[in-house]
Amino acid sequence: MTWDITGSGAIANIGRTPGQIFDALCAGQETRNPLRAFDSTKYRTRHAYEIDDRTGLRDEPWRATKWLVLAVRQALADAGLSEDLSRTPVLVGTTLREQRSTELWWTEGVPVRPSDLHFGGALRDAFGAVSTYTFANACSASLYALGLATDMLDCGTADTVVVAGTDSITESAFGMLDRVQNESPQELRPFDVTHKGMLMGEGAVAVVLQRPGTHDRRPLARLTGVSMNCDAQHATAPDPEGIRTAVLDAHRRAGVSSGDIDLVMLHGSGTPRNDETEAAVLSEVFAGTSRAHAPLMTAIKSMTGHTLGGSGLLSLVVAVLAMERNTVPPVLGLTDPIEQAAGLGLVRGGATAADITTAQINAFGLGGINAVALVEAAA
Amino acid sequence: MTPAPTTDARLADPVLAKARETLVTGVGLAVPGLRSVGDLLTDQPPADGFDPATALKGREMRHKDRASRLALYAAEQALADAGLLDGEGRLLGTGDTTAVVVSSNLGSLQTACDFTDTVSRETVVGLSPLGLPQTSSNVVAGWVAIRYGLRGPNLTVCNGATSGLDALHWARNLIVAGRCRRAVVVGVEPATEHVDKLLGTRASDVACAVVLESAAEASQGGSAHAPVRGSGVYARLAAYTRGAELAPTVAETEALAPVPVGLRLTGAPARPPSTGREQSLDLTARLGDCSGALGVLQGAVAAVHIRTHGSEAVLAFTGGGDFDDAAAALLLTGGDTE
Repeated sequence: MTWDITGSGAIANIGRTPGQIFDALCAGQETRNPLRAFDSTKYRTRHAYEIDDRTGLRDEPWRATKWLVLAVRQALADAGLSEDLSRTPVLVGTTLREQRSTELWWTEGVPVRPSDLHFGGALRDAFGAVSTYTFANACSASLYALGLATDMLDCGTADTVVVAGTDSITESAFGMLDRVQNESPQELRPFDVTHKGMLMGEGAVAVVLQRPGTHDRRPLARLTGVSMNCDAQHATAPDPEGIRTAVLDAHRRAGVSSGDIDLVMLHGSGTPRNDETEAAVLSEVFAGTSRAHAPLMTAIKSMTGHTLGGSGLLSLVVAVLAMERNTVPPVLGLTDPIEQAAGLGLVRGGATAADITTAQINAFGLGGINAVALVEAAA
Repeated sequence: MTPAPTTDARLADPVLAKARETLVTGVGLAVPGLRSVGDLLTDQPPADGFDPATALKGREMRHKDRASRLALYAAEQALADAGLLDGEGRLLGTGDTTAVVVSSNLGSLQTACDFTDTVSRETVVGLSPLGLPQTSSNVVAGWVAIRYGLRGPNLTVCNGATSGLDALHWARNLIVAGRCRRAVVVGVEPATEHVDKLLGTRASDVACAVVLESAAEASQGGSAHAPVRGSGVYARLAAYTRGAELAPTVAETEALAPVPVGLRLTGAPARPPSTGREQSLDLTARLGDCSGALGVLQGAVAAVHIRTHGSEAVLAFTGGGDFDDAAAALLLTGGDTE
């Protein structure tokens, strides 16, 4: 069973459409900026990959909601669908929901209702959508939502599902991340020996997923499997066993083996522990593949920052474009890979031309929740 | 625009129903002053009701946010009720095929507000690193999984007024899709000043847990001496509907009931016209808003009611208020598989 991806939409600091984002990634654009969202004197970390769309100097509420609606609108247009989603489920993955708005409610008295914390109301207003679900599944949220969407198509509950992710930076999460990182990174440098930790990004992403045979579009790509599990080991540190299980289950669901995979979109959050664990597991999983069949690997957080709940789906949208354009963007700033990544085909220095048929996308979240997706080029 | 409700009525087909049956096999509660889910069906408070001041202590509860502690308490009750814990409170068998699904809208509100205040007052240096897990809204589901080694899908539903019923629906979907054989579903909302301020009313601590299992899984685990594990089967999830308006959503779900609906579990403002023949119970009249915990509470109360009045169906519904984006309804029937 496969599912057709017929439309995509995305907004991030680096671009306002999937095409813009892809071009900027391939050009190796560094777009992180001095922290603007909050009073930077309160923090040790002074940089983020923000979307700088505030009208004034002060932070504003409802930015995650606004981007979500934009990304869904782009994806529907791309798929040739109308903006009437009254019969179409919309599954949204997010880490922080509208918590930034509740912070502004608490500190500045911005009006917030309990029903504004999730995205159903905005999706109903914009698209008439009623079958809407907000899943707060940390940084694997949008790939979890993607997996749940495949289950809906399989069960026959729907022929078309819109899957999305969105997050804006909150002061509480940015502050805690700052507090727990030993050093304050100025940029996110996954898998490089100089990596000092994660920097947050912002953005939203959406795809239209349709059951084959129920539409007349040429798919952008085919989704062939999504796994989801939980380490059940540690609240914040990743567990190699849980990640390995998620990767192998995704391969099994997609009916592929490691030798079939041409590209891996790494989670690559830039924290030493996460990078080491992910690289070690992938080194093991791909150990049996010959050099000629070893997949290329890249990590877009080096340029988008960590876009949290939507990051997995954003990686997937970039993988789909890599297939279409036969180009893989580099890991920006990677010059000296960590020991665990020494044998991996990390793309560095610049974009690489490559013929990509099968791609794997990793997303791992706080709480040890893992989701891995496999996509295939549309023939 | 008011589209017709979307009913997940796959269980109307008897053959599919058999293969996709999802059963309630355990329930648990953490509500101040109450001991068990059954206490919500009587007006008599128990002598030894739950007291958060004493019950939320111990090694497993340390360094955890209030929502997580309430959820861990309720989850333990439900797993024990389902006969899935050993004498030391550990899960019997493997947790590889057990999912965790949590519903909470307000569980992380206090964290977001408190941490923001701390940064403003003391800069980030004032934050305790122990608070890292609770910055993410999925903290509760993570702790429940870690406590019992539950390595199946781990899902946090933050979906407004309907969230609890939605969580039961997604847990069933995970079982039907074969992603797990069992799910621990927890609805939880902690009582904090932040929640009171947002809701404009005094909120109570509420956590409720429900163990769902596939029919095949529910029939396993008994012994020769005790063929039924734990409390046995309470009820089954028969149909779920999500719609723009409450009345048609409820009507569509009720039309699928194979036996008369004996109890309607409403939630303010969810009170569509009743036929007057059946009982009606509004849990929010007793417990307050309950937000994301309400639907799971309703599911547990429905299960206990069906256990006592075997031949009846129970219809639960939430949402449909002026500011809600949708309404949801869940139908539960007897667990007898024939």
